[in-house]
Amino acid sequence: AWKLDCSPSDTSGGCLSCRYHKLIWGPHSMTAGERVSGVLIAGGENGNVILYDPAKIIAGDTEVIIAQKDKHTGPVRALDVNMFQTNLVASGANESEIYIWDLNNFATPMTPGVKTQPLEDISCIAWNRQVQHILASASPSGRATVWDLRKNEPIIKVSDHNNRMHCSGLAWHPDVATQMVLASEDDRLPVIQMWDLRFASSPLRVLESHTRGILAIAWSMADSELLLSCGKDAKILCSNPNTGEVLYELPTNTQWCFDIQWCPRNPAVLSAASFDGRISVYSIMGGSTDGLRQKQVDQLSSSFGNLDPFGTGQPLPPLQLPQQTAPQSVVLPLKKPPKWIRRPVGASFSFGGKLVTFENAKPQQQPGIEQQQQRHHVYVSQVVTEKEFLARSNQLQEAVQSEGFISYCQKKIDMAQADFEKNVWAFLKVNFEEDSRAKYLELLGYRKDDLRNKVNVPGSWACVKCFAAGGCICQRTIDVIIYMHCSLADVDGLITQALLTGNFESAVDLCLHDNRMADAIILAIAGGQDLLSRTQEKYFVKMQSKITRLITAVVTKNWKEIVQSCDLQNWREALAAVLTYARPDEFAALCDLLGNRLESEGDSLLQTQACLCYICAGNVEKLVACWTKAQDGNSPLSLQVGIAVKKEVGSNRWGSYGVQIK
Amino acid sequence: MVSVINTVDTSHEDMIHDAQMDYYGTRLATCSSDRSVKIFDVRNGGQILIADLRGHEGPVWQVAWAHPMYGNILASCSYDRKVIIWKEENGTWEKTYEYTGHDSSVNSVCWAPHDYGLILACGSSDGAISLLSYTGDGQWEVKKISNAHTIGCNAVSWAPAVVPGSLIEQPSGQKPNYIKRFASGGCDNLVKIWKEEDGQWKEEQKLEAHSDWVRDVAWAPSIGLPTSTIASCSQDGRVFIWTCDDASGNSWSPKLLHKFNDVVWHVSWSITANILAVSGGDNKVTLWKESVDGLWACISDVNKGQGGVSAVTEGQQNEQ
Repeated sequence: AWKLDCSPSDTSGGCLSCRYHKLIWGPHSMTAGERVSGVLIAGGENGNVILYDPAKIIAGDTEVIIAQKDKHTGPVRALDVNMFQTNLVASGANESEIYIWDLNNFATPMTPGVKTQPLEDISCIAWNRQVQHILASASPSGRATVWDLRKNEPIIKVSDHNNRMHCSGLAWHPDVATQMVLASEDDRLPVIQMWDLRFASSPLRVLESHTRGILAIAWSMADSELLLSCGKDAKILCSNPNTGEVLYELPTNTQWCFDIQWCPRNPAVLSAASFDGRISVYSIMGGSTDGLRQKQVDQLSSSFGNLDPFGTGQPLPPLQLPQQTAPQSVVLPLKKPPKWIRRPVGASFSFGGKLVTFENAKPQQQPGIEQQQQRHHVYVSQVVTEKEFLARSNQLQEAVQSEGFISYCQKKIDMAQADFEKNVWAFLKVNFEEDSRAKYLELLGYRKDDLRNKVNVPGSWACVKCFAAGGCICQRTIDVIIYMHCSLADVDGLITQALLTGNFESAVDLCLHDNRMADAIILAIAGGQDLLSRTQEKYFVKMQSKITRLITAVVTKNWKEIVQSCDLQNWREALAAVLTYARPDEFAALCDLLGNRLESEGDSLLQTQACLCYICAGNVEKLVACWTKAQDGNSPLSLQVGIAVKKEVGSNRWGSYGVQIK
Repeated sequence: MVSVINTVDTSHEDMIHDAQMDYYGTRLATCSSDRSVKIFDVRNGGQILIADLRGHEGPVWQVAWAHPMYGNILASCSYDRKVIIWKEENGTWEKTYEYTGHDSSVNSVCWAPHDYGLILACGSSDGAISLLSYTGDGQWEVKKISNAHTIGCNAVSWAPAVVPGSLIEQPSGQKPNYIKRFASGGCDNLVKIWKEEDGQWKEEQKLEAHSDWVRDVAWAPSIGLPTSTIASCSQDGRVFIWTCDDASGNSWSPKLLHKFNDVVWHVSWSITANILAVSGGDNKVTLWKESVDGLWACISDVNKGQGGVSAVTEGQQNEQ
């Protein structure tokens, strides 16, 4: 339930000197903005049609009349606004007078045609809901005339000759242009007749649900199966005019309702005006009566001028009724839901790109013919937004199933147009092959072979050792050929390449060649002991400084070399080095060697120094020989030396010698 | 691009109002004005009727499958003001819970993302939205938002589960604090977004753009991007796409997808959230896709029931 605010606004009507028989609210010029609340059209007792501006009424202005025209000869009882051309209003009064007013040109109304004979009051008038130039009018005698405004004449007259009815209501079918209903107020014939103009001799259907005359009807525009009717039996019924079935009976009090209308905005809501001066608002969607409010709208009553539909001209006294407590109950909704909430079509997606759709074909409106059994289907569709994609996906599916990954990737590589794509597929392919890492490297552009190939360009390369250009004839492997003619920039690139492929040898050689000694040594250390030794060798070859030899010897521990090749003037240094570094097993030999050299190569002075070496070496024979040579006579000194030495080294050995000297 | 692979003859005796496939696409549930809910097995193009569920006293408007981790559960809502939750036990489908707390027709039901538990949102013509949460042992807890939409609520749709601050590592084992949100559309022409705060549901946003009843809302599934998208369709024939760029969900901006000539009843997103199916009056189902420059174009026209393909030409692209 919801709140309904019916607080009456100031209803100071302008001219209230007449009473109204009919009041309708049209949307004319609402959208244009001139009259934001549309136009109120009133049919007066004296035959005048008055236009009010409701916005001004609400605002409380005194001048609220837009225009009025006193054209009719009698009370104007019927009014209707054309729903297609909202500036057209039809009015009906006595003596078969019907005028069509143009709100833009209010002064001169037109007539739909020649007046119907015999002259009768027009009790109802209604524009067709499908065709804008068709108008119907009905008289209390039960005769209804249908006018075509283009032809400006009546096209058909409908009346039930068998029965006399007092027509109180006329309404067109919202969907079917040729059908309409007539309601009868006559208590002897309290019926609603459904007519189809194509078959106008007798009504199509007669709804006989009321027990007493019907005062008003309203056909829902939102759902053509809902026709409201209220009558003197104090009932408000909602029926289906297509089938005649009563769908609903609104719970009302004992009052007769004389007017009933559907809410244009909210299709579930309707209002009913009753003789006790009340206007009730109902909803057919159910709900609870808790929130329902019934407002006593006396002021509206007074501005209506105490409408008396029977035309006696007497104001009705306000009725005092005992206050009725509204029953606290849940109002049940209609048995069948109204059309506006019945969803006829829908679609929803599902897993795997499937789309589920359903639709309900509109049933053919064939009155009198049995409805064929509708087949209600649901369609499951496959949505493919990109066919190509699907094809590829299928291929992939196959590849996965057959495990032909490598060939699939190969196909992709062949088909690929962009380089990037090619690369991606090539990488994926390698993933499935063996030795993937090496292949990845290759794909990246770093091939070990490449370096070799670069190296083999004749003329640009030369082996440092054998200086053979192009290929190398020395023992070294092709990997360590050093590039001789190169600019500095290239060297960086080559070193990088070498390093990225794990080729330490080449990298080291390149560094050396480029005089990047520190880099070379550092890399060599990382490349393993073997490489380090070789690098050291090469380094020493390259670098020649005074102490290089010494460094070399220290690193390579090649003392023999030193001893063999040192400058004899530096024999002391040599001996010192030997003493410091030589291993115990080679110590004696080295000292010996040095001694020999001194003796053989050195001058007399040096020769004598050889003795010292022999002492270090522990080589007694040589020592004696050297010593003897050095000293010609001077036996006692020799003897002393000999004895000293004997004592030094050991008695056994020297013993024999000592004898010799003696 | 759209080809019918299966036509299921439901044997419903009256209008069908909803058809939904379950999570895996193996079962189809349909509901109708004949008051029944039918479940079919539609694997491999077949159609075997598994169950014909009776229990409603009025036309059944919508069905919704729960996430399979909870078992085979289906919810249905009807004009008879009832929401029934059905469950398959040992091969047979039975009513496991019936909710009658609404005063008028219940128009829409939608299960929350499974991360939140088993929660069902129901929108009704009495203007209220109720949330039924399964608490265990056959018990359901009810929370009601009264007057969510004046005149009535026509649709509810949950937002995908998003963990707040998901950029920060959650210590394992701790249940993350989800911010639960859902969107609803009503007869007051509004789309509203609801957020749960401290166990209470509050209206977070009101999205106004439609000039007539909002018939359906659909929150797009998450594809990992921080943007949220909602589609809404209305009696006025318009379909709007609402997007919100910031994570806090404060600024929603609408984009008109198209203005149709008739009522648009239903909108539904594809699983990957890039295609929107729009079902409108005169039994037309159209598929729409957003191009890279942000314009929505109709990619296909699912012909009346035939599911026939008619690739829409360039000239028929939407006019804004």
